[in-house]
Amino acid sequence: MFARSSSRIFNVINISCIQSRSARAWVRKPLGSPMAKSKMFRIAPKKFIPADEKAEVKRLYDNYFHQMKSLRHYFFEQSLEQAESGEVAQMKHRLEEEEHIRLMEENRLENEKTAKLREEKLKIQAEKTRENILASLINKEEETRLYEIQIEAFLEKQKATPFIQAENIEKAIEEALANPVDFNFAIDLDGYVYRGRETAIEKIPEEERERLRSN
Amino acid sequence: MASAIPTFTKIGKVIRLNKHGCTNRPFYHIVVQKVKRKCYISHMKISITLKKKYYTRDNFDGPVIEQVGSYDAMPNSQHEKLVAVNFERVQYWLAQGAGMSNPVAQLLGLSGFLPNHPQTLIQSWKNRREPPRERKLQPIKGIAPPLDNPKI
Repeated sequence: MFARSSSRIFNVINISCIQSRSARAWVRKPLGSPMAKSKMFRIAPKKFIPADEKAEVKRLYDNYFHQMKSLRHYFFEQSLEQAESGEVAQMKHRLEEEEHIRLMEENRLENEKTAKLREEKLKIQAEKTRENILASLINKEEETRLYEIQIEAFLEKQKATPFIQAENIEKAIEEALANPVDFNFAIDLDGYVYRGRETAIEKIPEEERERLRSN
Repeated sequence: MASAIPTFTKIGKVIRLNKHGCTNRPFYHIVVQKVKRKCYISHMKISITLKKKYYTRDNFDGPVIEQVGSYDAMPNSQHEKLVAVNFERVQYWLAQGAGMSNPVAQLLGLSGFLPNHPQTLIQSWKNRREPPRERKLQPIKGIAPPLDNPKI
């Protein structure tokens, strides 16, 4: 006979492989098999429903579904109203109120605690900052004092150097003109100076050489 | 056809009749049940280990959420078919968006809670036109009919 086609079974996790003596479940006719002889020329009887009956049926169903839809919406709205005003809702509301009060109380206590801690911390911090500021002010004072001393010393030095004032200017000019400084000189590695542009080293005897002292 | 009222989304729950009772004596519980999926195989004769621990008669759908009534299909000694319905809970579930099967809708329509289902009217005028077909088994009225099959 024909081989048994495999039947796909929906939504079944395990099929136990225990032998069962009951009949095998018929899911559907195998796809490749031919039509049965009894069914070859069968015409399925179609129910004839007159048009007016059909219209009546349609009218009834339309009315019914329309009514059901409105009823469902009505029930829905009723449920919403009840949810807000019913006993359960009132109890819930009361419980929520109590919970709220309790939590607010807790929050208040917690806030007080933390406020105390915060105040202490702030006190300590304030002390620290005060000390810091004092120390920095003292430092600043010291620094300014030292700076002033330095400035004094510097000024002293500067004053000591010979400045040309407005009164001495003519005198200084005459002096400068009288004593021209000649920079045309060379220096040896040993420190001997050779003045003048055209001086040669060999022409000067050793005794007469100048020497710049490294003062 | 667009309407002013928006359509309800399906919540996957349905009010339907669950068949209990025994052979030749159906008894229905009107329950609110979760709809899981359409099952194409209703009669399995192989032993199968399903996801559930045991094969229940819950129509392969989810477990029963709430029983909302009962319907006794067999008429009693006073020729009454008794129906019990918890209308408050039915209203709640309809408000939530649960669906209804045809028989439940018909029963609720007959009770007056909902408008009459068209099926009741259609069936009634069909019955008036021609009487319902003869059934082999008469409904049990408390006592089983005598066996007239000589072969048993």
